[in-house]
Amino acid sequence: MWSLQPLAERLEQSSLGTAIAESRYAFPIIEGTHLLSLAISVGLIFLIDLRLVGVLMRQVPARTVIVHLRPYALTGFVVVFVSGTLLLWSEATSVIASPAWTFKWIFMVLAALNALYFECVLAERPELREDAAILPRSVRYAGIASMSLWTLVIVSGRLIAYLTTWP
Amino acid sequence: MTATEAVNWLQASALSHAIAKSNHLVIASLQIVHVLGITLLLSSLTLMSLRLWGLLLKEASTSDIVRAGRFLVWLGVTLAIGSGALMFLASPRHYAYNSAFVLKMALLALAIAGEAVLLHAAAVSGPPRVAVRLGAGVTLALWLAVGIAGRAIGFV
Repeated sequence: MWSLQPLAERLEQSSLGTAIAESRYAFPIIEGTHLLSLAISVGLIFLIDLRLVGVLMRQVPARTVIVHLRPYALTGFVVVFVSGTLLLWSEATSVIASPAWTFKWIFMVLAALNALYFECVLAERPELREDAAILPRSVRYAGIASMSLWTLVIVSGRLIAYLTTWP
Repeated sequence: MTATEAVNWLQASALSHAIAKSNHLVIASLQIVHVLGITLLLSSLTLMSLRLWGLLLKEASTSDIVRAGRFLVWLGVTLAIGSGALMFLASPRHYAYNSAFVLKMALLALAIAGEAVLLHAAAVSGPPRVAVRLGAGVTLALWLAVGIAGRAIGFV
């Protein structure tokens, strides 16, 4: 992580970084936007996962749920990512020093890999193509993995403010 | 007992002291549960509102989608209020005299009442009435206002 330190210092001392940090309103507004948009986007992913697991909207084919909810989730993630980048910009040195930030990235990468595996491998399963109500175990496990990983992303994101240095 | 006495009594209670004096990770855990509750609440509200407006999942009936989302809405509200109540208990005086917190509680009461009425009206079969579609927008805006007022607590 230490190689990121000079870049973090430059971000934090840039005019944008100091403007956000010194404004009375910018930081809480951006943080609020980050929180509300992540609640909607991650929550929509949870709803898709709950359909894959088979506990929600069983009467609707899983493919239909995915195709309909994913565009809203992805649009929301653009807002989450932009607001998150701005928050990082204004306090980069303390954020990257936190182990929680490193773990947040690890969990996000794992969640992305899980989604990729679902798209490339599991989505081809005949039960999904034939719109079965109950999906095979591998698909249900992918849904549970996605929910768990996104929960860990939220947990580690919240802990950035609390776990400030590596032990 | 007046409101001031009630706040002072809570502030002096053993539970309040226990939370306030606990490890800072206890407060962090309460905040995480709060965020997860908000996540369940806002996403299922988004799902139900979009369906009531006819923007997605038209293959499914509105009553099916409302029934699917309803449980998660109240689960989310319960998690958020449960964790929020414990955070409030950690320093009742700090919150009770904070104007953003008072506004948040008023908006929360409105949002819960509006949501209960909306979910009752939206669970019927057939295409949603105009009043139900409008109500979905009003309640969603109310819940977002609750979130914004909550965010303002630390800044007023």
